[in-house]
Amino acid sequence: MKPSFISQSFTGVPEKSATKPIHRNRIYRSCPRTGIRWLAFLFILCILSSSCIREDEYNNDPAGNFEALWKIIDEQYCFLDYKAEKYGLDWNKVHERYRKLITADMTAKGLFEVLGDMLAELRDGHVNLYATFDVAHYWAWHEDYPQNFSDSIQRIYLGTDYKIASSLKYKVLDDNIGYVYCESFENGIGNGNLSEMLQELATCNGLIIDVRNNTGGKLTASTKLAERFTNEKVLVGYICHKTGKGHSDFSSPQAVYLEPSNGVRWQKNVVVLTNRSSYSATNDFVNSMNQLPNVTLIGDWTGGGSGLPFSSELPNGWSVRFSASPMFDPQMNHLEFGIEPDIQVNMTSEDIKKGKDSIIERARKYLNDLYTEGN
Amino acid sequence: MKKAALFLYFISCTLFPAFAQNESSCDTLQANRFVMRSTLYGIGYTNILDTYLSPAEYTGAEARIVHERMRMTRMMKGKVSTQSLLQANIAYTENSSDTGNELSGLINWSYGLHYHFQINDHLKILAGGLGELNGGFIYNTRNSNNPAQAKAYINLSASGMLLYKFRIKNIPFTARYQINIPFAGLMFSPEYQQSYYEIFTLGNHSGIIQFTSLHNQPSLRQLLTLDIPIGTATLRMGYVGDIQQSRVNRIKCHTYSHAFMFGFVKNFYLIKQKDKLNDRSPY
Repeated sequence: MKPSFISQSFTGVPEKSATKPIHRNRIYRSCPRTGIRWLAFLFILCILSSSCIREDEYNNDPAGNFEALWKIIDEQYCFLDYKAEKYGLDWNKVHERYRKLITADMTAKGLFEVLGDMLAELRDGHVNLYATFDVAHYWAWHEDYPQNFSDSIQRIYLGTDYKIASSLKYKVLDDNIGYVYCESFENGIGNGNLSEMLQELATCNGLIIDVRNNTGGKLTASTKLAERFTNEKVLVGYICHKTGKGHSDFSSPQAVYLEPSNGVRWQKNVVVLTNRSSYSATNDFVNSMNQLPNVTLIGDWTGGGSGLPFSSELPNGWSVRFSASPMFDPQMNHLEFGIEPDIQVNMTSEDIKKGKDSIIERARKYLNDLYTEGN
Repeated sequence: MKKAALFLYFISCTLFPAFAQNESSCDTLQANRFVMRSTLYGIGYTNILDTYLSPAEYTGAEARIVHERMRMTRMMKGKVSTQSLLQANIAYTENSSDTGNELSGLINWSYGLHYHFQINDHLKILAGGLGELNGGFIYNTRNSNNPAQAKAYINLSASGMLLYKFRIKNIPFTARYQINIPFAGLMFSPEYQQSYYEIFTLGNHSGIIQFTSLHNQPSLRQLLTLDIPIGTATLRMGYVGDIQQSRVNRIKCHTYSHAFMFGFVKNFYLIKQKDKLNDRSPY
């Protein structure tokens, strides 16, 4: 026989077997109003919680995409104040100037060109606009300067018997100077790679770290390499991030330290070779090395790129990349437009004709002179 | 002082249910041995916004699992039940122009107490509170140094439940509606444009844990279910509405999920009973 629903208890106690009858009528039926009040309270909470959190949306048309991009840069780009001071960038005037070029019937490629030109006003290699058919970029930071690097001449120095440790190519040059070419920080560098390489080069009189044409990658990789050249914790700079939409809304500077590696560390003189294409994470590497006592920078200015890039997007799906967190040297100087070398050297056409790299040659002479002086 | 003692008793029974159980070990058959357990599986639709990653809303399908366990206690003369609710969902979404994707996932565990108010023989109101732990992520497949956002937050939530038992052609059904609204909590969030590199590699943890309440985290979870007995089993069908929103460190986030769920309920007594218990469930 099925039990009657009406007579069933809500307490969960099977009525036949319960040893302690629960006074449900007295207990439960005495306070339904309290339960209803609680429901009313929840209803009020529900109303308070019903406000939607959404972001302002722009139309997916040329004007909407223009306004969305301008706003992203206006609220999130980290160098507007610095660049206003440096070369007179006025982002509001940029809006006025480029808004006139936007028409309702312009093509996607036409819009892309206008938006790309607008972003170029920022003079920042970390700023890009990505569409399916093109990537808008600003590369004047290296295109407008001597390249100061030739891979065919570098091949003469490396020969065919160089060794490879991760993204590092290295060999001992004829005058017992170690030469390491680091072409990218895109991939991580293993501690084992670095220890083996430095042990191999340990008998050299000095070391050249060539980061020309290294346009960056992971900050953790560049830090890992720099850690091999210090025996103590060194302040190498500061980093900030934006805390709000205002052009000057920044966090307090966070000190950045370089800690000595637990692995093999280089104790002799080092020269870092730079050119205008030493950019982004490489710029950070050069800045860290520049704070160390046995390190000399030779070559051209680095390209800069000291803003950690973030990404966002437009209503039409185009992706935009921009600098979000500025980095500084220990004196709180911006590094966005590059780091000056200790010894400025350009590759000369005479040396190029002879198959010589003027910057490598200058570094070899510098290290050999230091070694001779030291002895 | 009495209130403080009552509060401590309430907390101790919540945190140490085994202790509370030992006290009652002299009773052989009690309400607090009656346990309801259910596991529901479902699919649904979700809408995701996280302005740390993108100002655009991403929409798509989600899969969700909800595991629930309820049990009566001896607290307050047997009028209080515990509820453990574990939810996990994963979603793959795209932006409106179909040029970008986001993968997201969240695990939520809630545990709390409800006081039972018997309105009549059919209707019961449960009122109480839950403690919630939440952990998850949103991964944007094409971003550079802000590719992902970690989700980690804890909440105290007000919770209410309506239980309605009825019969159609002498078959017992149970309909239930539950709503949980967080009113105080702590949330992890990077600052407006702070990179995870700065937080975890450089160790700048300042401002990444923020207090949340209705003003900056207006959220709610609601669950509507219908229990249908099929032979000796009980089928549960339901709807989960999961509205998670926050505005912390000037970063706007929302996840609006709507999922249809189905699964089975198991009512059991901790001491084996021959009687059918589904009809007698207090939940």
